[in-house]
Amino acid sequence: MRPTDRTAGHERSLTQIKFNKEGDLIFTASKDSIVNVWFSHNGERLGTYEGHNGAVWTLDVDSQSHFLVTGSADNEMRLWSVQTGKCLFVWEFPTAVKRVAFSEDDAEIVCITEQRMGYQGAIRVFRLNRDGDGTQQNTEPQSMFHPVGSKATVCAFPYMSGLILTGHESGKVALFDAKSGDEVLSNERAHMDVVTDLQLSPDRSYFLTSSKDKTARLHDAKTLTVLKTFSTETPLNSAALAPNMPYVLLGGGQEAMNVTTTSLRQGKFETRFWHKIFEEEVGRVKGHFGPLNTIAAHPSGTGYASGGEDGFVRVHHYDDSYFRAKPYGDVEILN
Amino acid sequence: EDAAEESNVSAELIAHRKRLVDEWNAWRARCKEEVAEELGVGQEPSGRQEEERE
Repeated sequence: MRPTDRTAGHERSLTQIKFNKEGDLIFTASKDSIVNVWFSHNGERLGTYEGHNGAVWTLDVDSQSHFLVTGSADNEMRLWSVQTGKCLFVWEFPTAVKRVAFSEDDAEIVCITEQRMGYQGAIRVFRLNRDGDGTQQNTEPQSMFHPVGSKATVCAFPYMSGLILTGHESGKVALFDAKSGDEVLSNERAHMDVVTDLQLSPDRSYFLTSSKDKTARLHDAKTLTVLKTFSTETPLNSAALAPNMPYVLLGGGQEAMNVTTTSLRQGKFETRFWHKIFEEEVGRVKGHFGPLNTIAAHPSGTGYASGGEDGFVRVHHYDDSYFRAKPYGDVEILN
Repeated sequence: EDAAEESNVSAELIAHRKRLVDEWNAWRARCKEEVAEELGVGQEPSGRQEEERE
């Protein structure tokens, strides 16, 4: 593997990383309240999106690399022009914004706001006005609901229209009717602890979750059936699907204060590669000085980026041996 | 004898893995049909595009 680009540009831990659809840009959110955009090929910083007044918990970029949406501890969700770095619109809420995600057609945004001080956790779906310069947005969501029971930590739009996919603090994954807010389907035992990340397959028909229960799991988006389980020995914060190769990339680690009481291996802060079908670990890449908080795979499958508690973003480019390696022989596996 | 046993085990493992891959591929094929259906019969070309993009 080619030496990785390690980028400095955040003063505090990373919270979420996303590639744009082409894979030439990487967007990073951090607790330092700054959002950065980087060139993926060399790790050079292209620009920043400044305006939030609190930890930025989450971000997503649309498929046209036109709009960026961010959510923060300052109770705001912001819409930005990717190209100019200008903030186009600010939505304000009573509590922090923990997760945002675009729909496949870029027309809608789903967001989770935190449950706190008399406010229920809420999921809102906004219809985005893509006409004009993006500054004319409706302050009101087209729908809003409060999941009963365990609070939602992650959300996304599956391929089934009208439904919102969620992961919860209890370890549950669920499908909600976006309009009525009814829970349509749930798997209460998808995980045994907090669901920390949820990433969809390219066609949005299956998804990968990571959890503090030390496992990552692959689920059928329509039935919420668990298809595969990847069991590690450390709490997981993020999990990404490798495009074109049958691997999943897992990241996590114990907080520094706990490292001495647990095995040394947990202090290495590696990205773990597991075979998606055989549920076996195939490799590890070291890199971070603290737990990995977020992993994103390059959409063309040429590398990945990881963001750590250490404040670093690492961009990894696979070398030829990665693509040649067929640890389980020459089998065709549909993506 | 050991070698024979080993090759027997690996043959079993290879068969097991082949079964896992076959199951996965069959499920993916069903999924792709369901996704195309959801996107609408009238929009089949976009359904195909969807598959190509993967």
